[in-house]
Amino acid sequence: MKQIIRNTKAYYCVECGKCTGSCPVARGNEFFSPRLIVERALSGMKQDIEGDRELWACLTCEACSKKCPSTVKYSEFIRGMRKMAFDSGFTSRCSQGGLLHSIQRIHSIKDLVQDRLDWAKDLKTSKKGEVLYFTGCLPYFENLFSAFVSPIEIAKSTVKILNFAGIVPAILQNERCCGHDLLWTGDSETFQKLARLNTEMIKESGASRVVTSCPECLRTLKLDYADLLESTGIEIMHISELISSLMKNNGIKFNRSGIMTYHDPCRLGRHLGIYDAPRDVIKSMGELVEMGNHMAESSCCGVSAWATCESMSKQMQVNRLIEAKSTGSDTLITSCPKCLIHLKCAVHNQIPVEKEKVDIRIEDLAVAAGKALAGD
Amino acid sequence: MTNIGIYICHCGTNIAGMIDVEELARKAAKLKDVSVVKDYRYLCSDPGQDLIKEDIRSMDLDRVVVAACSPRMHESTYRKVLSEAGINPFLLEIANIREQASWVHSEKEKTTEKAFDLVRIAVAKVKKDESLESLPADVIQRVLVIGAGIAGIQTSLDIANIGYEVVLVEKEQSIGGRMSQLGKTFPTLDCSACILTPRMVEVSTNPKIRLHTYSEVEEISGFIGNFHAKIRKKSRGLNPDLCTGCGECTARCPTKVPGEYDEGMGKRKAIYTLFPQAVPNVPVIDRANCVYITKGKCGICKKVCPAGAIDYELGDEIVEEEVGAVVVASGFDPFDPTSKEELGYGRYKNVITGLQLERLLHTAGPTKGEVIRPSDGAVPKRIAFVQCVGSRDEHANKYCSRVCCMHAIKNALLIKEHHPDAEIFIYYIDIRAFGKGYEEFYKRTQEHGIKFMRGRVAEIFEENNGNVVVRADDTLLGMVMENEVDMAVLSVGMVPRSDSAKIQKLLGIATGSDGFFMEAHAKLRPVETLVDGVFLAGTAQGPKDIPDTVAQAKGAASSALGVISHKVLELSPLISEVDERLCRGCGDCKDICEYGAIELITLDSRNAARINPALCKGCGACTVACCNGSIKLRNFTDTATFAMLEAVLGGEA
Amino acid sequence: MTEFDPRIIAFCCNWCSYVGADLAGTSRLQYPHNVRIIRTMCSGQVFPSYILKALELGADGVMIAGCHIGDCHYVSGNKKAEERFRMLLGIMKTLGLDARRIRLEWISASEGVKFANTIKEFAREIKELGPRNGGKE
Repeated sequence: MKQIIRNTKAYYCVECGKCTGSCPVARGNEFFSPRLIVERALSGMKQDIEGDRELWACLTCEACSKKCPSTVKYSEFIRGMRKMAFDSGFTSRCSQGGLLHSIQRIHSIKDLVQDRLDWAKDLKTSKKGEVLYFTGCLPYFENLFSAFVSPIEIAKSTVKILNFAGIVPAILQNERCCGHDLLWTGDSETFQKLARLNTEMIKESGASRVVTSCPECLRTLKLDYADLLESTGIEIMHISELISSLMKNNGIKFNRSGIMTYHDPCRLGRHLGIYDAPRDVIKSMGELVEMGNHMAESSCCGVSAWATCESMSKQMQVNRLIEAKSTGSDTLITSCPKCLIHLKCAVHNQIPVEKEKVDIRIEDLAVAAGKALAGD
Repeated sequence: MTNIGIYICHCGTNIAGMIDVEELARKAAKLKDVSVVKDYRYLCSDPGQDLIKEDIRSMDLDRVVVAACSPRMHESTYRKVLSEAGINPFLLEIANIREQASWVHSEKEKTTEKAFDLVRIAVAKVKKDESLESLPADVIQRVLVIGAGIAGIQTSLDIANIGYEVVLVEKEQSIGGRMSQLGKTFPTLDCSACILTPRMVEVSTNPKIRLHTYSEVEEISGFIGNFHAKIRKKSRGLNPDLCTGCGECTARCPTKVPGEYDEGMGKRKAIYTLFPQAVPNVPVIDRANCVYITKGKCGICKKVCPAGAIDYELGDEIVEEEVGAVVVASGFDPFDPTSKEELGYGRYKNVITGLQLERLLHTAGPTKGEVIRPSDGAVPKRIAFVQCVGSRDEHANKYCSRVCCMHAIKNALLIKEHHPDAEIFIYYIDIRAFGKGYEEFYKRTQEHGIKFMRGRVAEIFEENNGNVVVRADDTLLGMVMENEVDMAVLSVGMVPRSDSAKIQKLLGIATGSDGFFMEAHAKLRPVETLVDGVFLAGTAQGPKDIPDTVAQAKGAASSALGVISHKVLELSPLISEVDERLCRGCGDCKDICEYGAIELITLDSRNAARINPALCKGCGACTVACCNGSIKLRNFTDTATFAMLEAVLGGEA
Repeated sequence: MTEFDPRIIAFCCNWCSYVGADLAGTSRLQYPHNVRIIRTMCSGQVFPSYILKALELGADGVMIAGCHIGDCHYVSGNKKAEERFRMLLGIMKTLGLDARRIRLEWISASEGVKFANTIKEFAREIKELGPRNGGKE
């Protein structure tokens, strides 16, 4: 625990409470306080932290980190605490009864041979290539959530855009989960297995550039696989960054229509600082009207790592949609499959406000861009 | 800290013969948190039970695993052991090493290995079990009976005679139901009125029965032991408390319309009672046909009423009743044969239904018991009965309506007794004389010369003289026969009452594919519904004759008494529970619940699910529907299941 | 090399299939020892994640057994199980795991023979398929 405190600069905590004050979870969950977890850690209350269910409530959205005057790396601190708790036999309460986590752990079986490329049938892809599209868990999300959203469309649109730009991306027939969710719920052992399996395949593909449509994959590959990919010089980028560069360098254009607002995913925004690329793309497709909370101030979609969904989450989602609707936009664009799923989930059944207040189309950036390709 | 005791039963050689009990005990003793492992020849015996009790007391055990026969055999026995020794009875798990190990395998080593796995699973589970207490719920010791035909009457009388209050609600203006429409009843030929009216009078005079006639239940909320009903008492257009039932108003009313009670065979007035022995003997003004109400003229009834009871403006009244159980005895409707166009009902005057014939045969009916045919009032000499109209028919109802065979045979015999020279044909495909004394009765009619023609009537058409021709393939002769008769009687089957969908929704009970209310189990729970505290009686549950209806009514009475004779009910604690803090209020659980046990409540500015413990049956469907794990089924949680899987697959416990 | 001895988990509903399994016992019907039964209240109470968790932990086959359609003690729990099972089959396909590793069976309280035969058949089939992470799939 001391190591974690040291690595995340938690020692510097001055107990000012800025974190708890700016925490979206603490706003609705009186039992959760980022500050108190740090304090307990500093007082050496290991067991107390491990057994606390609030340890799993943090969204690791980094809203606090951006404000912390002592620059404590809070999300990493939480991640460390969770690993510690996990190793002592405590686990998070998972959405879908832990179904996704099981899928992800099954992915760590070395000999697994998946059948996950159905969606790519009508698109141009290859086994090896200069650009690798890292699909992430989209085929599985499609299995689970097709009742109210079609996540696989994101993958299709991504490849469609790449094909349009003359790129035939490599896709991995046996790509594994990047391990993000397990890493952030304390299971670093399985994460390591997944990371090794993925990096091997990425290296074998001969790619010099890996594109993801999921900011969590992006963060994981870029930061958490860093030591495994370090020497390779492989560039990891988000689809919004690639489209943005295709616009500049290859002259790709979009048909303009409508007014859009943009929801920054935590991983893409606060974690990686990618704010402009998605906005460049949106501005070329239509008019962008920002919500009050945007860029570093953006609100979280309310769930992280399939482990933090609770009443608070729905409130955050509904509030976010109200905010989006009130911009007068007709579409809320996001660039994270999970944000898309969570925001759509919030309104697909009962909501505590009038339907008109949240009645806005929600679309992934790649899907919107795929539809708007000029000359397609 | 957890302190588990494991007890392994030899069950003589039933278990010990195929499982190495010593080896099993040795392995089990090494499991984490296990303080003691013992084995015994017959654990369910008194000394066996004492062994467990003794250890719980002396070693402070807080959880117990019994490795023995199926939990379906002795789970309750061992729960009691725990209770008596002072720990919560739900902190028990049974490893089923007899039915699911020693009895089904034949390699001792492998079977012992499996038994150990089953013990590990049980240990993992028992660690996750929680202490549970049954929930007490106060019972309102009254019963609501919906429908006052013979079923509702019998149920009400049985309950009232034991000494409990009954609220009896009847839609029509008098109690008596379909049975009161009948003349004589098979197979004994006693007159329906003679056996029914004394019961009706009993209902009206029993101080324990609160009767609401010309009334309908509009709303029911609550759950077993605690139902709240809203009943609309429709306005009769007169004050029933003042009315003496003298009948002056009916006698002087100038308006005549076809009477529904007579199935259209006779006429009634616009202010009328259903039949002379009606209970209560208070008329109703038919607002659709009363000239004073429709045109503002007349007003004779008001003028002649000696009691001054008539009040045209009188509105409906809503009464509210609290009850602990509900019996649905809403009865049946006769099948409307108009849709069977080939039979000509509605087009040919001399094609009538069995119930219409019944009214003609009734001594208090429109013809005072004389059978005449509608077209010209002549006495029909040749009559055909057409069986299975609307029954056993894929185009109408698949089921057999059970009573039509006997009904036709009975009426044929009655006609034959009046007019020995009458010729009667019964067109049938099978005669189903299933009841006590029915087959004998059927034989008697055959002796009277009634002709049974085996063949389903294909078509009926009319001759100029009003006679109808019945065409059918006589399947015994293999010839298509056309038979000109004076009148044809369609033996129509029973269908669910037209308003049964409303009642179904009111109570949340289920209907089968036939549209009748569904019992909880076709054989073993024929009067219960899937809603606790709601029972069925009579033809509301399916076609029945009078004896079966009465038998079921008595069953419903005893079942309802089984609920309301308790002051307090113990509700099972093995139900679902919502973590309101986690709940997203999406309502998926509410949508999936078959029992209406979940409602969405508002907490601050958000929704959350809440479970009614009296309605929840503990099926756990909601727990799976919940996307974020806010609902758990007590002692059947996902964490417990994962622990069991880890124990058996991961090799831990 | 020792012979492959499959590990099978069966989730049996309290009202039908568990009783069917008991009946197989009281009738002394022999079936392979590979199966471990976990009692659930209803097949509709089985989370899809239970099946994947079992596979994750190394089970070679998983069965959900409930009352026949129309006979569910809780009206329609088995229909819910059926819907969820379809979703699971989709996931199995994507994972590249053989769909025969998971089963949904309707076994009534009176079908001890069916229970024993189902386990026999299932164990045989899983033996043919080999271990869950045996490489081929």
